[in-house]
Amino acid sequence: MATSSASGTEFSADIDVGLLAEGEQLPPGIGPTQLAWRRLRRNRVALFFGGVFLLIVLLCLLAPVYAKHVAHQGPSAENITGKIDGKDIVSVTGIPTGPTWHSRYLLGADANGRDVAVRLLYGGRNSLEVGAVATVITIVLGLIIGLLAGYFRGITDGVLTRILDVIWAFPAVLLGVSLGVALAVGGIGPLKGNTLMVPAVVVGVVYIPYVGKPVRGQVLGIREREFIDAARQQGLGHVRIMFSEVLPNLWSTLVVFIPLILANAILLEAGLSYLGAGVQPPNPSWGTMISDGIRTIPAAFHNVLVPGIMLVLTVMSINIFGDGLRDALDPRSKVRIAR
Amino acid sequence: MRKNARRAVVALFVLASMAVLAACGGGGGSSSSSSSSSAAASTTPAKNGGTITLVEGTAPDSLDPQFGYTTQAAEPDWLAYTGLVTYAHQNGTAGTALIPGLATALPTVSSDGKTYTATLRKGLVFSDGKPVKASDFAYTVQRALRIPWGGSGQFIAGNIVGAKAFADKKASKISGITTDDATGKITIHLTAPYGAFLNVLAFPSLGVVPTGSPYKNEPNNPPPGVGPYKITNIVANQSYKLVQNPQWSKMSIPGIPAGHVNITAKISSNVDSNALSVVNNTNDVYDWADTIPGSLLPQINSQAKDRYAKKVMNSTYYVFMNTKEKPFSSQLARQAVVTGIDQNAMSRLSSGSLIPGCYFLPPGLVGHPTAPCPYGDPAKGGDLAKAKQLVQQSGMAGQPVTVWAQERAPRQQWMTYYASFLNQIGFKAKIKNIADASYFPTIGNLKGHPQTGFADWNQDFPNPIDFYLLVQGSAILPTNNENFGEVNDPKINSESTKLGQVPTPKLNTIASQWQALDQYVAKKAYIGVFGYQTFPALLSNRMSTNYVFHSVYGWDWSSFSLK
Amino acid sequence: MAAFAIRRILSAIAVMVVISILTFLLFEAIPNGDPALRLAGRLATADQIHQIRVKYGFDQPIYVQYGRTMKNIFTGQAYSYTQGFNVLTEIKQGLPATLSLALGAGIFWLLASIVVGTLAAIKAGKYTDRVLTVLSMIGVSFPPFFLGAVLIYFLGYKANIFPLGGYVKFTTNPWQWFVHLLLPWFTLSVLFIGFYSRVLRSTILDTIGEDYVRTAKAKGLSERQVLLRHILRNSLVPIIALWGLDLAQVIGGGAILTESVYSLHGVGQLAADSIGRLDIIPILVIVLFTAFVVVFLAALIDIVYAYLDPRIRLA
Repeated sequence: MATSSASGTEFSADIDVGLLAEGEQLPPGIGPTQLAWRRLRRNRVALFFGGVFLLIVLLCLLAPVYAKHVAHQGPSAENITGKIDGKDIVSVTGIPTGPTWHSRYLLGADANGRDVAVRLLYGGRNSLEVGAVATVITIVLGLIIGLLAGYFRGITDGVLTRILDVIWAFPAVLLGVSLGVALAVGGIGPLKGNTLMVPAVVVGVVYIPYVGKPVRGQVLGIREREFIDAARQQGLGHVRIMFSEVLPNLWSTLVVFIPLILANAILLEAGLSYLGAGVQPPNPSWGTMISDGIRTIPAAFHNVLVPGIMLVLTVMSINIFGDGLRDALDPRSKVRIAR
Repeated sequence: MRKNARRAVVALFVLASMAVLAACGGGGGSSSSSSSSSAAASTTPAKNGGTITLVEGTAPDSLDPQFGYTTQAAEPDWLAYTGLVTYAHQNGTAGTALIPGLATALPTVSSDGKTYTATLRKGLVFSDGKPVKASDFAYTVQRALRIPWGGSGQFIAGNIVGAKAFADKKASKISGITTDDATGKITIHLTAPYGAFLNVLAFPSLGVVPTGSPYKNEPNNPPPGVGPYKITNIVANQSYKLVQNPQWSKMSIPGIPAGHVNITAKISSNVDSNALSVVNNTNDVYDWADTIPGSLLPQINSQAKDRYAKKVMNSTYYVFMNTKEKPFSSQLARQAVVTGIDQNAMSRLSSGSLIPGCYFLPPGLVGHPTAPCPYGDPAKGGDLAKAKQLVQQSGMAGQPVTVWAQERAPRQQWMTYYASFLNQIGFKAKIKNIADASYFPTIGNLKGHPQTGFADWNQDFPNPIDFYLLVQGSAILPTNNENFGEVNDPKINSESTKLGQVPTPKLNTIASQWQALDQYVAKKAYIGVFGYQTFPALLSNRMSTNYVFHSVYGWDWSSFSLK
Repeated sequence: MAAFAIRRILSAIAVMVVISILTFLLFEAIPNGDPALRLAGRLATADQIHQIRVKYGFDQPIYVQYGRTMKNIFTGQAYSYTQGFNVLTEIKQGLPATLSLALGAGIFWLLASIVVGTLAAIKAGKYTDRVLTVLSMIGVSFPPFFLGAVLIYFLGYKANIFPLGGYVKFTTNPWQWFVHLLLPWFTLSVLFIGFYSRVLRSTILDTIGEDYVRTAKAKGLSERQVLLRHILRNSLVPIIALWGLDLAQVIGGGAILTESVYSLHGVGQLAADSIGRLDIIPILVIVLFTAFVVVFLAALIDIVYAYLDPRIRLA
């Protein structure tokens, strides 16, 4: 699953930033950023789904408010033998009730008699948090490795590229599950087991090559350009050149990568949780909720459907917005579309 | 030039993928279609012949009798590897009766309880046609020690003279076992009297195999044995077959019936679809050890009511509470758990499969007390208010508690309920999830100081001592500990050791003493019992419902027959 | 050229060695992961644990254990610790299901994405393109275990058209083989179709601007001829290269989620089950197997491209 979409980032984010930097015929007084923003604003579908994503984030952030004032129970509160509307919350044979459309158990209960709506929002917080942290890890480490490898070339490049190759050739889900199982409980060093940081780090590491390799390729091209030579002749140090001369040219690549990695990270976390190597119960995440829900198919399908729809909607919003962002930042494909 | 070469890349991939396809496509294997067996001699009126399919969610750990220890392994091994002693093929408690297997009679015990003597039947042959010798028994014990089988340290090395030295490779044979191939006489010397030793001899892992079978687990090609069936066509983690042993008709051992059908066992981890396939009659037998998902129960009740039953086996599910660690060092804190825990809620988490109870010894076992539970009727659900009060009284309110959970449904769900219950009655509980495979070694490591968590015990054999092994002070071990609560109570230690020396056939004479001891354990709240598991017996409509459900092994496959 | 090929292959081997060491160390580092304790069983005595430790060589230094394990794998003597099965045999038994899944889905997703991608490119910027874009985006956002659960629920439980999972051998019953694989094929393909069609669309749009296409158009070839003969043929190269790599991953157990939601008992599920049992040997072999296929295919592509374009060799 993640393998394909991940290897795809190499291709799909293969934008020639050089073209953009040199500019085609920029309207006077408008920089590339403003130009991209103008293009993005015209893409109403992308903007709509960007809005949907922000709304989901907002809702998930409001989870404690919902739990306290609407559902009146937290994400781990169990009520297995209780009743709602005169019906068992969980039947004698273990089947949880479906959506009640009331404030309590709005979207039904899970097998442990917990409120699915409350867990959906809390689970979303966890899924998004893992995705966000993983994205930061991937982008930062991918950038550093790609930057160093492309800038210094030679032995540094050889070693770093091999490291990327190792991570890349490791079957992504297998690597994730193995790491997840290995770390889930005990953790290693500062990485404590049973916390959200474990899946976040695991997911983050898996995607490093997909950022590191294209960044390296771009840096290789950038360092041959005149302004780098000029900077070198001025006697600027390596670090200075990398930060003030090379990095600004990578900016738009990284911006395009963020939604791509975020979407894939959320999906991979869900996959790991489904296989029991992600977020640890009773802490909810969309993946663990689906995984738990599959146990009660076919009688209580809402337990799969509710978190599943939320997961797909979120990932889809990020993907569509990201696609619009890529179009906006890549003038060539825009020219073609206007054919 | 450039274009052609690009085409070559495409061709390369196509070729490579085709080569892989060709290389592996042939690996599909051919499964021979069912062949109806020749009718074997049988005393029951059940119809003979045909092949049935059994589906199970978990693969046997190994079908090699000297390695397999799970129920999925014991079921077929019991029928393919008969030991000197075996169990009666009967329903209910009648099935716990020990009967002679390859021995002419139940082994005789010396007056000091330390020497067992038996004689091998004449004319026995393995499924490959080779004759069985008395020395094969000694070899079988050696093999179980060297492979080694999971229970060999406890039950064999711990009991038979010289077995430990052999296991440690300090001796070339077990000094405590002497055999005479000419007369068939077998003598076994024990280090101390052990009442359940006949049960040990009945383990499928002491099912006799030929001398010379390698000292290595042979899951694909287990050695020949003596029994109504033999195991063939093993495909790892996918399927195997139990076919009628052609040699069996030559030997007739009273009480061990020949089978009626050949059985194909298929392993498929999706137990939902396994259950449905039996309801819909595409497969014939559902493995009793798998849970039937609650969501299918309505359909079973409408479509398969007459071929579905709930069966009880001797197993107890409980939360262990460490008596050496706060807060459960306090008896009041333990009482709070036993008083407040809602067994009905626990049961709903496992599709309603639990029978409520408070005693460590399960209802099917001699020694299960008949007195009412000391801290309220568990069938009525827990008394939360009382439990809260007990926590306050114990002075342990607000104590942090780590609940250890095994990552396997419904065990994990049970523990999330348990943790939220502990929080309700005034502790500060959090959960620690442990991978399924390493759960018991993890909580069995004393260095981890586990406070409380899931535990279970399924009988190895129907004798209370098998359960009380887990609460004896001497059973507290630094690693692979099973006395998770670190219970070390002099009364339990002396009583259970004394009662454990009484041979299994005489259990009925000491039933009241076991009951008294079990009531004492419940009173002290050492074991947080939350129920006894019931198991599903579900068949297709092709099958006769005139089957034996054995209290030790579950399905008795030799009782299966078609209508 | 030969020097480049040798260098590339040597580095591929180095990557494989590092992967095997990392996997080995990873499972060594599992807390409470002492395999002897797990193998010994619940009633094991200290003696028995020691005996197992010696028997399997867990008492030896880690590098000795690593060396022995690798030797066993390459001599076909790798046995699972917990079950005792020969791992290579087990993989061979799981391969028919995995290959059936991979190749069936592979063909389906390749053909479907060519159709969708080409259509989107021809209609670039138009309504059809936008709809296809959104559909592709939905496709890449569907995790297989969720899509699988939804399909099983509606088409299996509710409509009773499809089985609830499982694999039937082709040799046993070709029709049942097909029926059991239809949903898994679809589930696995959805992700790839969404993604491949996007890649193909942008590649076609790139190719349209190239000189030879303009020449062809100038020569008076029809739109259709230009599209089929020149544009599509050249745009397919990166797609097929990608397809080869993805197929390699799926064959090597990468379809772990699809296999497990449909209980296909393939290589992926063997990997998942082995991880559940913390059984290092099968995991190690499967990881190496997948990495081998991926690393060497990638090396092969590099070498072939280097052969095509001498400039790469200098990089």
